[in-house]
Amino acid sequence: MATVKVSEAEKVYILHGIRDDLRVDGRGCEDYRHMEIETDVVSNTDGSAKVSLGHTAVLVGVKADIGKPRPMVPDEGYLEFFVDCSANATPEFEGRGGDELGTELSNTLYKVFDNKHSVDLKSLCISAGEHCWVLYVDVLLLQCDGNLYDAISVAVKAALFNTKIPRVHISADEEGTKEIELSDDPYDCMRLNVENVPCVVTLCKVGHRHVVDATLQEKACSVASLIISVTHKGTVTCMRKTGGGSLDPESIFEMTEAGKRVGKALHAPLMTLLQEEESLGKKRLKVGFLG
Amino acid sequence: MLKSKTFVKKTRSGGVMKIVREHYLRDDIWCGSEACSGCKQESTVLQTDACMESSLCSYPHYLVPDTNVVLHQIDVLEDPVIRNVIILQTVLQEVRHRSAPVYKRLKDVLHEKEKHFYTFTNEHHRETFIDREPGESANDRNDRAIRVAAKWYSQHLKTFECDKDGLKVVLLTNDQGNKQKAEESGLLVYKCEEYIKSLIANPELVDRLALSNDDKNEIGSSKVLFPEHLPLSRIQAGIKCGSFLQGTFRASRDNYLEATVFVQGEGDDSTEVLLQGLQNLNRAVHQDVVAVQLLPRSQWVAPSSVVLQDEGAAKDDDVEEEEEEKALRISAAEAARKPTGKVVGIIKRNWRPFCGMLNVSQIKESTRHLFTPADRRVPRIRIETRQASTLAGHRIMVAIDGWPKDSRYPNGHFVRSLGSAGEKDTEQEVLLLEHDVPHQAFSQAVLSFLPKMPWAITPEDMVRREDLRHLSVCSVDPPGCTDIDDALHCRELENGNLEVGVHIADVSHFIRPSNALDKEAASRGTTVYLCGKRIDMVPELLSSNLCSLRSNVERFAFSCIWEMNHKAEVLKTRFTKSAINSKASLTYAEAQMRIDDTNMNDEITKSLRGLNKLAKTLKRQRIDKGALTLSSLEVRFHMDSETHDPIDLQTKELMETNSMVEEFMLLANISVAQKIYDEFSECALLRKHPAPPPSNYDILLKAAKSKDVEIHTDSAKALADSLDGAKVDGFPYFNTLLRILATRCMMQAVYFCSGMDSDFHHYGLASPIYTHFTSPIRRYADIIVHRLLAVAIGADSTYPDLMDKHKQSALCNNLNYRHKMSQYAQRASVAFHTQLFFKSRGILNEEGYVLFVRKNAIIVLIPKFGLEGTVFFDTKGKTVPNLVFDEEGPTLSVEQHIFCIFDKVKVTITLDDSNVQHQKIRMSLIEPVITGVSVPAPDAEPQAKKLKLDN
Repeated sequence: MATVKVSEAEKVYILHGIRDDLRVDGRGCEDYRHMEIETDVVSNTDGSAKVSLGHTAVLVGVKADIGKPRPMVPDEGYLEFFVDCSANATPEFEGRGGDELGTELSNTLYKVFDNKHSVDLKSLCISAGEHCWVLYVDVLLLQCDGNLYDAISVAVKAALFNTKIPRVHISADEEGTKEIELSDDPYDCMRLNVENVPCVVTLCKVGHRHVVDATLQEKACSVASLIISVTHKGTVTCMRKTGGGSLDPESIFEMTEAGKRVGKALHAPLMTLLQEEESLGKKRLKVGFLG
Repeated sequence: MLKSKTFVKKTRSGGVMKIVREHYLRDDIWCGSEACSGCKQESTVLQTDACMESSLCSYPHYLVPDTNVVLHQIDVLEDPVIRNVIILQTVLQEVRHRSAPVYKRLKDVLHEKEKHFYTFTNEHHRETFIDREPGESANDRNDRAIRVAAKWYSQHLKTFECDKDGLKVVLLTNDQGNKQKAEESGLLVYKCEEYIKSLIANPELVDRLALSNDDKNEIGSSKVLFPEHLPLSRIQAGIKCGSFLQGTFRASRDNYLEATVFVQGEGDDSTEVLLQGLQNLNRAVHQDVVAVQLLPRSQWVAPSSVVLQDEGAAKDDDVEEEEEEKALRISAAEAARKPTGKVVGIIKRNWRPFCGMLNVSQIKESTRHLFTPADRRVPRIRIETRQASTLAGHRIMVAIDGWPKDSRYPNGHFVRSLGSAGEKDTEQEVLLLEHDVPHQAFSQAVLSFLPKMPWAITPEDMVRREDLRHLSVCSVDPPGCTDIDDALHCRELENGNLEVGVHIADVSHFIRPSNALDKEAASRGTTVYLCGKRIDMVPELLSSNLCSLRSNVERFAFSCIWEMNHKAEVLKTRFTKSAINSKASLTYAEAQMRIDDTNMNDEITKSLRGLNKLAKTLKRQRIDKGALTLSSLEVRFHMDSETHDPIDLQTKELMETNSMVEEFMLLANISVAQKIYDEFSECALLRKHPAPPPSNYDILLKAAKSKDVEIHTDSAKALADSLDGAKVDGFPYFNTLLRILATRCMMQAVYFCSGMDSDFHHYGLASPIYTHFTSPIRRYADIIVHRLLAVAIGADSTYPDLMDKHKQSALCNNLNYRHKMSQYAQRASVAFHTQLFFKSRGILNEEGYVLFVRKNAIIVLIPKFGLEGTVFFDTKGKTVPNLVFDEEGPTLSVEQHIFCIFDKVKVTITLDDSNVQHQKIRMSLIEPVITGVSVPAPDAEPQAKKLKLDN
């Protein structure tokens, strides 16, 4: 992970500021940095979103493909995650430098989505035991400026919201051989219900307090952080601890509560924003990557 | 401005792929109208005074047809009357997608300057491009795009033209919904029929209108005669699971109620399914690709031997039919039964315009008539025309529009008249069309790739060429030949050896890969020689001028040069592109005279003598290796120089010089074949001649045995030797007859791609490898071989298609097909001229030999004319004599007389013109005299004297 070197004096400055609920960039402890979201940015995916959080920027593309359902759950489709840490984001990722982080991030995404409620996987089934939709969620890190988890989770949610899966019909003849037929209307497609898709809130323990959306400097001052994925109702679907330091049970409880609170507050404006953008339809001004 | 087009596609593996194409919109696409002052176009296509006199539109106007109008009414659009038409890109693309032949015809029309057809790329124009709306089908979107473009045009013209002539745009559509919407948006719109009928000057165009769907309902009774065809999806599913079979429908020539479907299986295993009865044929037409379902084994039948022709007046009730069908169902022996099926659906129609004649309806003033195609395998077609009286007795072309299930006959429309039946030009046209020989004039696009005249060799041309202009090269060809492919030279080297060069016209220098000229030549495949007419593969400028190796002009050549010793052994071979200057174009006879005339000792004559000597040695060597010399009688007509009618006919004579040229061409072909195969083992274009299966020789062996001559067919060499030895005393013609029979046993030689086959052997020439290199002016295969060889010696660059064995193989299939068709056309042309000849000569009595013996007839060959004819013993309406056929002989005994192969007979030849479409030479027996069978010898040549007087 991209790191910055922070001197002792700087550390003390940051620590003291946080103690007084005043962070280096003027935010409170539970405030996010400025966030920008744009959906439908990559035309050859089925759904895509670009999210920038401070200087962190991630791009998520969703490709829908027809595959075979897993034998244990023949009536469900599934999601596959892949995180690509491009060397664009930071020179450390060059060569195979980003692999470890990429695996860690995608593993976390698998965990976050490993429950019955996040996405209605049954709606991805085409014919039980034979065909289902597989959604390949590809994450590309464009720039790293701390708090990758949160940015990625917001982008994944936005991209899934944006995903348009072409509608297919199963036609069977007398012999029972099934044939998948595509509709020739590009507008005839299926949308996913993303209401229950969780967002990740990362809380960094800095001194005795914890902050949301830590910058790289703050991260350098933190010994441990807690990654919590929260749905819009405040349900926690996954929790992980990262960092070398330890957390006492009491602060874990506090941090979880704070995470739920922040998470719930994050979902509502996100959904309104996405719906607003969608309702603009073709009139929407596209910003893209150069805007 | 950038837009992207998105669509989803199913991949072959069953997945789904989203495909996004970038689509750029421009603002510099001009309208193409002469009247427009706003567009900055360099040249205009559409005229200001676009006058097509119509009672509907009295003002000048441009036509904008929609896709269906173009697809169905291309015959009308091609008419010279229709001018100033805007073809939208949307329409062009849809046409291209839906029908390749119509697309090609449309492209040709667009290239024609006089037609003033303009392609407007509306899909890329900023103001006429439209996105597909949610809930809109692709067709609706295209219809809307057409309306938007038409609207744009009418507004554009209103803005920019000077107001005086009031140019308008007229949209033509047959779709009611589209028409209504267009009217709502204020466009001028007519149905195609409405518009064509309103054209004042050309009422006959109406006949060419294809019948559209709503018209079809009027014709035919309401009774459903045929079972419904299954939809394509059901058919495909059925074929997949094996309940249906897919194959090509082949109607029977002799029985209109019978057909077979040829089902191509895996590898060599292919089957034929028999179809019988109108219901089971279910509206399939010859050459359609159909799906058939096998009937249960108990309903299988045997092919009937009855000849049935669909004749008489139009049948609308099927009473008669049932009787005829009953005639078919003769209970056949179990063994003779064949898999029988019925057509359940049509996968692909292969309709083309058919040639034939009109049966004028007996009802006066009726506009519906039946049309009888010349090809007996095609059903009669019902057409609507008001010119029946003018068209009667003419050969006409008719296209099928459809075959509704409640109609006994397919519905079609008149395309054009070819001229009166029996006239030479008409008949020639018919036989070209019926044999699918492309013979239209070359299009502008093709001609644009010809070199500019005057043409001369430039120094740049010579950089990669060897200068052989100083050599005394000469060409030897039949008299009157203008497309000279090959020239030869021979000279003595200082070391005593001989240098022999074969120089072939360098056609590939002028025809560059993949341009329109190349594509046209590839599609034509070969030049077709008919009696008195040549249909060129490449435009005349090349075939008779720039490529033709005429004497005393500098020409490019592709040379194959050998160093040989006096025993005709090749010591060195090399290939090079060169420039030559032929010193003489000789005929075979002239060359022969020079060789024989001891007084002549110039360079050319010496060269010819050297060549002739070597050729004899080469021929001997080749025959020693087992090459076959077969025989077929080729006839040559002496044409009247003015009327081009045949005056006399004689079999072609072969001279020593013929075989001299042939020998060196064979050698060049073999050398080149070896070279290109060594260099490109995967994609060399070669020619093979498979050995015939032993059973093919049965007839030859039996025939020879009847004269106590033994023929060995174990190998080509054995066959050649035993043919040489086969002689019967007092029967000098026996050997030739035997060779003619042997020729009939052979297989067809074919082109193939070396990467797709393993058997390269050429049986007839006894060569392990062979190709065609020596006639690039008249054969496309040679052009490809030239290109391969040029790449092999580094004289030219390659291109992807040349190295793609699948594309090569597809090309070979086309070349083989064209070659076969051109031979059929040639034969048909000879047959027609033979008929003309006998028509002018009246009745002739000639001697001939029995060539084959059949169950009810003997086939007689008349050596004097190279003419073959059948003497039937069971003519209709006569008492059939007592016929006994013995398969072993084979012999046929008629009353007391027994006919064997090679028997000498005397026949009288007459022309049977009772059926105008199928005139035939008829032979009847004079000698031996068999009572009740033979006819008394009629007075021969009653017209001969008159003919002499005419001359």
